[in-house]
Amino acid sequence: MRWLKLWKTRILLFFAVVGPGFITSNVDNDAGGIYTYSFAGARYGYQLLWTIVPMIIALVVIQEMAARMGAVTGKGLSDLVREEFGLRLTFLMMLALVVTNFGNVVAEFAGVASSLELFDVPKWISVPGAALLVWLLVVKGTYKSVEKIFLVAVFFYVAYIGAAVLSRPHWLEALVSTVPRPTRMPFTDAGYLYMVTAMIGATIAPWQMFYLQASVVEKGVTVRTYKLARIDVIVGAIVAPIVAGFIVIACAALYQAGHTEIHDAADAAYALRPLAGKYASILFAFGLFNASLFAASILPLSTAYTVCEGLGLESGIDKKFSEAPAFYWLYTALIVAGAGVILWPDFPLLKITVLSQVVNGVLLPFVLFFMIKLVNKKDLMGNHVNSRLYNGVAWVTAGGTALLTLVLVWMS
Amino acid sequence: MAPLALSEILGVPVEEPAGTLHGRVREVAICPQEDRSRIHGLVVRTSEGDRLLPRQGIAAVGPGRVRAALPSADWPVFAESEGMLLLDRDLLDQQIIDVHGRKVVRVNDVDLEQKPANGGLLLRIAEVDVGARGAVRRLLRGVVPAPLVERLVARIPPRVIPWDFVDLIETDPARRVKLKISHDRLGRLHPADIADIVEELSPAEREAVFETLDEEVAAEALEELDPKLQISVVESLDSDRAADIVEEMNPDAAANLLKDLPEETSEVILEEMAPYERQDVSELLQFEEDTAAGHMTTEFVAMPRTARVYDAIELLRHFEGGIETLSAIYVVGQARKLLGVVPLARLVLAPPNAELGQLMVEPVACPAGAKEKEIFALFDKYNLLSLPVVDENGSLTGVITADDVITLMRAKL
Repeated sequence: MRWLKLWKTRILLFFAVVGPGFITSNVDNDAGGIYTYSFAGARYGYQLLWTIVPMIIALVVIQEMAARMGAVTGKGLSDLVREEFGLRLTFLMMLALVVTNFGNVVAEFAGVASSLELFDVPKWISVPGAALLVWLLVVKGTYKSVEKIFLVAVFFYVAYIGAAVLSRPHWLEALVSTVPRPTRMPFTDAGYLYMVTAMIGATIAPWQMFYLQASVVEKGVTVRTYKLARIDVIVGAIVAPIVAGFIVIACAALYQAGHTEIHDAADAAYALRPLAGKYASILFAFGLFNASLFAASILPLSTAYTVCEGLGLESGIDKKFSEAPAFYWLYTALIVAGAGVILWPDFPLLKITVLSQVVNGVLLPFVLFFMIKLVNKKDLMGNHVNSRLYNGVAWVTAGGTALLTLVLVWMS
Repeated sequence: MAPLALSEILGVPVEEPAGTLHGRVREVAICPQEDRSRIHGLVVRTSEGDRLLPRQGIAAVGPGRVRAALPSADWPVFAESEGMLLLDRDLLDQQIIDVHGRKVVRVNDVDLEQKPANGGLLLRIAEVDVGARGAVRRLLRGVVPAPLVERLVARIPPRVIPWDFVDLIETDPARRVKLKISHDRLGRLHPADIADIVEELSPAEREAVFETLDEEVAAEALEELDPKLQISVVESLDSDRAADIVEEMNPDAAANLLKDLPEETSEVILEEMAPYERQDVSELLQFEEDTAAGHMTTEFVAMPRTARVYDAIELLRHFEGGIETLSAIYVVGQARKLLGVVPLARLVLAPPNAELGQLMVEPVACPAGAKEKEIFALFDKYNLLSLPVVDENGSLTGVITADDVITLMRAKL
């Protein structure tokens, strides 16, 4: 049993390092993200894989900034925005965040419903069940236990690597396509540009920064222990886009078979069945279920955290319901409404999802702008202000997302 | 006169005695070292820069307008001193400690009270608004007509903290002194409550609080903190300040803390400690953490069997350690060999000249190397409040108290 012990130590060592950063970046490969990546693969094959590298760079820089701010100031992002920019801006930001996150929560429950339908579980069982599970997890859990469960959930993203392998891709071609070099002139193809925007939008979301910084603070990371936390953040920011890449690769099998139209994320799993086999399809569907459930628990949680922090209300999953009523009510409302909407017949699901994506994109440059302003404040960050390189990458990301969002709005 | 919200004054135009408008209110200043609640003056933004309208120069604060009693030529140029608290910048949206409610809250608005005073107006801070009322008022002001805002706001039940129960947090030590910020009121709370409050703060704020708390209070609060936070607090403090606080802790708690600190830090702190306390703690440091010796304190009362009750009570009067160890007196013989235990109740009920040897009962003790499970079992079986720990010769080396056992068991739950 020596190997078991060794394996256990390794896993423990891994878990000691990974945490908030790893969870945060991976949770963004949620139902909406998987749909986007599947669509990209089905429609364009390997041609969009080049976005993975810039994604990694942007994600590493942005997430590292959030984590560093959490470790140095010991305060959440919405706390800092409130202290430095006042109540009104904070309130507007929180409002926008609740709207986009609600849209995302709806998408997650849609992901739960459609992935489990592939396993013949009707949505009137899967959705309320998932909602209850998610709710109990946080209301009855403590940070430590919740984090452990989330870390296990992150692990199941391996399913996508499995699905990609089973779809028998051209590995060399895929690898070559990942070298950052757009193979098709983006400005001549509106659909292509739209996909690029969606890929980046699916990877960097406003709520991520709030969630990451809040959980870094809640975990008690300080300047001294920041080195370890930084590894976690960087590894997470690298792994998440790689997983996204595997989803693209798996769905490129659809492209090669000429099956370029999919309508939701579960559709990809369904379509993979005759092409890549039963197991690829099952793995893909399972990955979707895992990701949806995972994001469905983190998104409402992050929203409740952020809003309560910014508005000065009690928050934290280590508190009891009666100690932080606004926190738990907001959390509960997002889950109940998000799941309820899926069960509602004829709900304009697509409209809500698109709207939330647009608000997401509009909000992101603002959040990044505030982050860059804050992280460069000497009296707040001391010697831990951004380096020039970091500022460069951060500004380009903020400007780029703003531009892409404008393009997206203009095109739709 | 009607109370006034800070947000109602900010941005309002200021009228000279002649009736012309001259600038807008930018800030409200107080000088805590002169008076904790009285408004020192209004900072007015004018076309020729920021001016200070002193408190004596404020004639009235009416709806949407401040009337000055002094012509604008007499408003001095505003220069900020370190001892000045600017309410918009330093208070609004910031965190404060609600000493009465024992928690950390965020300021939504500040309520001022106005009183006529020899022709002018006396403005004081009455309370801090931390509820929805202040938030709604600030969100809607300027967007919705003012009378409508006030009508709406009047329906929201206020959630306010009287200014006297507010404890400010200032992380800059120089400014802290100038602003006369001390944590006297916070220091009067139960150490466990202080610990709860401190856990809500950011590391820099925690450090600021621990720098100004009385050492004894700081030590007790530190003991109540989560071990991880204990380390971060102690590491953030100067080594002599840290040593002062650690000295005041129970030796077992101090030893546990020092064990968890990086070796360099704990050595520096040990060196700075007074010799007597240092010796106590160093002895405990040698023991394994999860054994009886690792959890025991060396503060206890031991006497020979021939000692009398009045001697014992006299000794207790001068006992300096934590009172939680005082549930019994230990009777020792040659080389501190443990002979018996006299529970405190038995001691108090006995005649003053009775000998301890007659009062003592057979001791329940455990060896220094005993594991936690055995300790729990002994406490449970014999309904103990404290458990003496003996070395291989049967000599008394320390005592484990019930409160430590409860903490330990809870950590294992």
